[in-house]
Amino acid sequence: MDINMGNGGIGEPVVRRDAMAKALGLAQYAADFPHENTAYAALTLSKVARGRISRLDTAAAEAVAGVRLVLTHRSLNESLGDETFVMKGGHMQSSFLPLSSDEIHYAGQIVSLTIADTQEAAEEAARLVAIDYTTEPASASIDDAGLTEEPADSGIDVGDAEAAFAAAEVKVDATYLTPAQHHNPIELYAAAAAWRDGKLLINLPSQWVMGTRAGLAKVFGIPVEDVQVESPYVGGAFGAKASILPHVVLVAMAARRLGRPVKLVVPREAGFTVGSFRPAARSRVRLAATREGKLTAVMHDEVGQSAVIDHVAFPGMEATSKMYASPNIRMRSATVATDVNTPGFMRAPAEAPSFFGFESAMDELAVSLGIDPVELRIMNEPARDPVSGLPWSSRSLVECYRRGAALFGWSARNAKPGSMVAADGTLIGYGCATATYPSAMAPSSARVRLAADGSCVVYCAAHDVGTGAYTVLGQVAADVLGVPDELVTVEMGHSRHPSGPVSGGSITTGSAGSAVHMAARAVRERLFATVAGGQDRTKMTLADRHVVLPDGSRRAISDIIGGLPGGVIEEQADWKPTDMDDKTMRQGLAGGMAFAGPVGETHVSFSFGAQFAEVRIDPLLRTIRVARMVGVFACGRIINPRTARSNLMGGMIWGASSALLEQSQVDRARGRFANTDLASYHFAANADIGEVVVEMLDEHDSVVNAIGAKAVGEVGIVGVPAAIANAVYHATGVRVRKTPILMEDLL
Amino acid sequence: MRPFLYSRAMTLEQAMSEAAQSHAAIMAGGTTLVDLMRGDLAGAEHVIDIGHLPGLAKVELDGPVLRFGALARMADVAELPFLKQNYPALVESLQLAASQQIRNAATLGGNLLQRTRCVYFRDGVSDCNKRVPGSGCAALDGEDREMALFGTSDRCVATYPGDWGTALAAFDTSVEISSASGTKTVKFADFHVAYGDDPARESILQPGEIVTAILVQATPAGRHSTYVKVRDRQSYAYAVTSAAVALELDGDRVTAARVSVGGVASKPWRAPAAEAALVGKVLNEAVALDAGKAAFADARPLRHNGFKIDLGARTVARAAMVAKGKH
Ligand SMILES: Cc1cc2nc3c(=O)[nH]c(=O)nc-3n(C[C@H](O)[C@H](O)[C@H](O)COP(=O)(O)OP(=O)(O)OC[C@H]3O[C@@H](n4cnc5c(N)ncnc54)[C@H](O)[C@@H]3O)c2cc1C
Ligand code: SF4
Repeated sequence: MDINMGNGGIGEPVVRRDAMAKALGLAQYAADFPHENTAYAALTLSKVARGRISRLDTAAAEAVAGVRLVLTHRSLNESLGDETFVMKGGHMQSSFLPLSSDEIHYAGQIVSLTIADTQEAAEEAARLVAIDYTTEPASASIDDAGLTEEPADSGIDVGDAEAAFAAAEVKVDATYLTPAQHHNPIELYAAAAAWRDGKLLINLPSQWVMGTRAGLAKVFGIPVEDVQVESPYVGGAFGAKASILPHVVLVAMAARRLGRPVKLVVPREAGFTVGSFRPAARSRVRLAATREGKLTAVMHDEVGQSAVIDHVAFPGMEATSKMYASPNIRMRSATVATDVNTPGFMRAPAEAPSFFGFESAMDELAVSLGIDPVELRIMNEPARDPVSGLPWSSRSLVECYRRGAALFGWSARNAKPGSMVAADGTLIGYGCATATYPSAMAPSSARVRLAADGSCVVYCAAHDVGTGAYTVLGQVAADVLGVPDELVTVEMGHSRHPSGPVSGGSITTGSAGSAVHMAARAVRERLFATVAGGQDRTKMTLADRHVVLPDGSRRAISDIIGGLPGGVIEEQADWKPTDMDDKTMRQGLAGGMAFAGPVGETHVSFSFGAQFAEVRIDPLLRTIRVARMVGVFACGRIINPRTARSNLMGGMIWGASSALLEQSQVDRARGRFANTDLASYHFAANADIGEVVVEMLDEHDSVVNAIGAKAVGEVGIVGVPAAIANAVYHATGVRVRKTPILMEDLL
Repeated sequence: MRPFLYSRAMTLEQAMSEAAQSHAAIMAGGTTLVDLMRGDLAGAEHVIDIGHLPGLAKVELDGPVLRFGALARMADVAELPFLKQNYPALVESLQLAASQQIRNAATLGGNLLQRTRCVYFRDGVSDCNKRVPGSGCAALDGEDREMALFGTSDRCVATYPGDWGTALAAFDTSVEISSASGTKTVKFADFHVAYGDDPARESILQPGEIVTAILVQATPAGRHSTYVKVRDRQSYAYAVTSAAVALELDGDRVTAARVSVGGVASKPWRAPAAEAALVGKVLNEAVALDAGKAAFADARPLRHNGFKIDLGARTVARAAMVAKGKH
């Protein structure tokens, strides 16, 4: 690998490029962009979960002063292109577009969009849209009676797990429940659309500007070039802002009808049903082992919540099947269709729910065996992927456990439940669990421009969803070109830039980073070629804004580039993962979903982590507090330890929040989410989170991609809920097999 | 949002006369009212801002009475050294409520009149007798973990969510109410009303009446008092259960006790049975837990909130032991 360690280059804890803009309130989010003569929109949502609109009266709404348009299924009356659901190769969050008919498929479905000269008038009109419904019974919970489980895929089979389980000496068979959860990014969903000369410019918080552009072009039947999507800053996304949400289409539609820019900010409670959510899930885990602790069978049956309007499944078996060495593996997944808005991706969509059950079961097995849970995992470390038989691109889970146990002070743990008690009677529990996340890749383009003054600009239609991508992609270029970080600018989050991948699946650094690396190297090659004059280019290096020639002489970049026509060197590169064919790459670069990995032709690539938690439980009131957490991760090359640590830490905090607080309560009588505001949808406050220690191992992965970077964004959340549940068991002897774990579970 | 008229009252008299009109609403700190208006739950067409009226924010000891001006801010009151030392339960109930930012704006008077957090009341959609009288009560067959055990009716089972009100219920408290027809004082126990047929009515306050002060009879029990709040989240959450306990002690023996419980009732709820279980006893953990159990002997659980009977008893027990340890 030919990456120099430069000033602000790869591996350095460069401070976020966008930090000051955000701290000073200068960063412009989607709803902040001023479009002249903007009209404002407000939503009316369905009060019932299933049925039809039987009466619709918009007269009062239309009579509100300043109202310009009331868009309903009646007034929309226009079919919109043939763009499909994201899971079927399209870009829409759902295959059902509200206002396309009088049907109601879920509570909180958009039933009208009112547009007015002021926000207040739009909201007042939205309140006055009068609707009656005919209703039918609805189910929003997978536990409702009369629902059936449909197999979601053919599953995974290695050996004969049923037989091995039946014959085993020690076994665990338990079922674990995880609730629906909503992303609730602090930046609300929003869209501002403006049409000019038949061309659409849309501002929205997006994890996928290229996909949104391709999708909207299809919806409106216009060439892709006539759509621009702008999303320079995103105030939290977590998977919710990748595919096109229904309000985006409706806002663009309204703007076209009115011939005037239209803006909508989706209120918090509406976000619960206008956006997607993490579906509820049920995991039955069966593990069997010899008395010595060698796994002989691993079985995982997952049931996930799906929607009547769209079939979606997020089984975790691709990851759980790869965790431990077992000659017999059997994985199945099924879904239950419910009357809800289409569930979607939410941070570690498959892994977070499934690992709660899977890693809790490993702890239960450790208890049954009387073996330390850390040692049990180490004993069952697989040398290769137990399913495909392929080698890992890198796997340092055992090292993570050893280092994590030392950092945490695991050896101080007395294995007996309830045995560790503080002086004031507080019960102390230690728990651990494994985290993993696939390192997939997507094709990406990038352009890098180097000017005579040494300044460098990186262009890529990738996104910084708060994760640090602005900083990290710049570092990759700075590293290759030997320019100091202050001279690097990164432009992202706009569809006019060279194509970038969806910011999902923890792929941005590895994929867009590889494209930036390739483009920067092309710039460097031209620089070297310009000065070569017969000297060996492979022996040239770049340092401190100079080219160092093989003979040791130095040529200033400013001189070299200054002498070129245009005064800059600019190169664009199209990067694709090694195993990907050109056709798939082109689809990806055109805004399609094109992933490679984590199982390639020659290797399997995952990030890993070992996570530890200490809980403290009030002996009387049974309140559970997370006093401290330790996570040690192996994610390949860490481009920026500051932003990577922050990501992993954020994931762990979310994991704690998920273990103890977060759930979208379902009102089963009415088939709707009940706690649709932040007063009742609880996530962790500062006071809930004690010390969080994050370490990243120095792991070298020369296979995974050009820069050796594996997935960082999502792995942090994965093991924490189980680590906390395992710690709760250790503190109290009570095994809670559902999240969130509440005080009443321990009374 | 419904259009509304905003006016800033220049005098108390002006506020009282404007507030007597229909669809008028008093605004003090606005932290509850604006929220309710955003959700179309307040029915306010005329907002009368009294937040800046002079003279109503004082906290003083007036002979044997602690007088809290209705416009005193939660954050300011929580910092008063005299109160911290002599009435920790009152201070703690303020400190453990909401967030610092909200406490900076919120007033003691407005606090008493905050409305339930019942999600069906707040969602603006579900059947709710409190929001739309006669429409029904979605909580009865819906999510009821957060709902009340006391003071409910078959029309409404929501809790009164306030911490300050719960703590006040453990003291000899009354509320001073002013209107065009003069000033009156009502016992705090009679200020809020338990739900009967009309759960939309939560207090005896009539249009045109303004709370001008909260009066607490000075008591030595204040020193041995505490407010314990149990919640899912460690900060910035309403009580699942809470308890205020104030004690007079002779050594370890309880000579007088006041107990109130929160998160479990339709209004600030005093627990005389717990008080009786404490008085005359040498206070230890077993006695404290017995008192807690006594407090919940008459509880009426719903489908998913029965755990609050046990948790509530433990909360009272913890508060009693903490109160004993204060000096
Ligand atoms: C996010 C959030 C979290 C919260 N958490 C908690 C918590 O944990 N515990 C807790 O106890 N509280 C909590 N609260 C409630 C908070 O304490 C109250 O909103 C606040 O005390 C109300 O005071 P205010 O001055 O802002 O009242 P306003 O909003 O101005 O008024 C509230 C109501 O009282 C009426 N009113 C106000 N003053 C008078 C008066 N002098 N005379 C007659 N009527 C009057 C108004 O008309 C209105 O109906 C929370 C609030 C929010 C928004
Ligand atoms: S409990 Fe009360 S506030 Fe809640 S829905 Fe029923 S009537 Fe409304």
